[in-house]
Amino acid sequence: MVERCYVPKSLEEALSIRKETGAHPLAGGSDLMVQYKQGLGITPVFPFPVMIISSLDDLKGIETLEDGSILIRALSTPAEIASFEGMPYPVRCAASRMGAVALRNTATIGGNLGNASPKGDLPQPLILLDATVVLKSQDGEREMKVDDFILGSKKTALADDEIIYAVRIPRVEYTHVYYRKIGTRRANAISKLSLSALARVEDGVVVDFRAASGAAGPKVIRSHETEDILKGHGVDEMDSLMPAVLEGWNNAISPHAMPEYRRATTRRMLEHFLSSIAAHQEGGIIE
Amino acid sequence: MIEFTLNGRSVRFEGNPLTRLIDVIRDDLGLTGTKEGCGEGECGACSVLRNGKLVTSCIIPVGSVAGDEIVTIEGLRDTDQGRCLVDAFAEAGAVQCGFCIPGMVMAAQALLLTNSHPDEEDVRMAISGNICRCTGYDLIVDAVLLASRKGEGLW
Repeated sequence: MVERCYVPKSLEEALSIRKETGAHPLAGGSDLMVQYKQGLGITPVFPFPVMIISSLDDLKGIETLEDGSILIRALSTPAEIASFEGMPYPVRCAASRMGAVALRNTATIGGNLGNASPKGDLPQPLILLDATVVLKSQDGEREMKVDDFILGSKKTALADDEIIYAVRIPRVEYTHVYYRKIGTRRANAISKLSLSALARVEDGVVVDFRAASGAAGPKVIRSHETEDILKGHGVDEMDSLMPAVLEGWNNAISPHAMPEYRRATTRRMLEHFLSSIAAHQEGGIIE
Repeated sequence: MIEFTLNGRSVRFEGNPLTRLIDVIRDDLGLTGTKEGCGEGECGACSVLRNGKLVTSCIIPVGSVAGDEIVTIEGLRDTDQGRCLVDAFAEAGAVQCGFCIPGMVMAAQALLLTNSHPDEEDVRMAISGNICRCTGYDLIVDAVLLASRKGEGLW
């Protein structure tokens, strides 16, 4: 096997290398370098050509756009995402709890999406917020929902000549918001299960309700059908609607390992959020 | 060719860009203060600073630090901040076998660079990615708090 590694100096060069060689982009390296490690003191060996894109300035930076959406370029680290002013609560929570300090200075949002691990931390809140991913190739760019980009465990819609340029989070109004990641310890914990949820209540009516489950199936789970059960209904109807929502959600998730645990715990988290909406109509962060 | 700065000196590396930064530091440059523990970025023994931020050098390919400033324990040791940290670790009795300590000191430095007056919880968070199998961490936390007090004005 001929090992090939490229270090492009510009985005244009990277897109050209990508098209000609199909080299996989290596951003932070925190997934790839571990996955293909060979042992102490030995250089990792990859079964495909690689291009190290870590130094490309065109892929760095986070900004708020005129329409209120937030553009997070692919090389943004969890530390940068967590500290960006105006970052929606579930994204900030997920980013600030990934790995430990050093990992949060190394990993990237582009890598977290491109790797598409079912236990990845960022896809869950991004899918909750209907975030999109911007993909670039020599032929131009396209934008699609993160939910459509991640096809399954370790599978994405990234074409052979594309690289992830950025993630865009639209402005989402909410009155109630929830984020919970369950891991075995506070640092360096791989998510066992996670749930984020939000609701917008106006004049006692649930105008918007969403939830996203992480690590409860091959990819992050949303269920628009289940979300619709609550929308348009009064908060005072919560008690009577809750069983249908919980049942719908239970049917939507598909945990492979430890399904009893994951179903029971997901149900408890969602139930807690839903009852908190009724109990705290003024809104806020539900803990 | 990859060019970067290591402990204030410019370094050129001409080998495979996928070579791990720790191997360049230890094998090519002979700076063995940086230790390898898990090789997966989980234990923090190989921690160095990249542009002032803590990273684990065992999962970073040297090709990704082009143009960056890397500081290892050797680069920190002989500075006022480094001496203050080393003295505080000694005074607090924070070192037993010592294997994790270079990484711990780098994590402490990364913390103090952004927060010169941390409380205990800040310190525990800052070293949460650095594993020590000897001390139980309490004495290390004491050492970082001591450095912060004794090093008033250094950070």
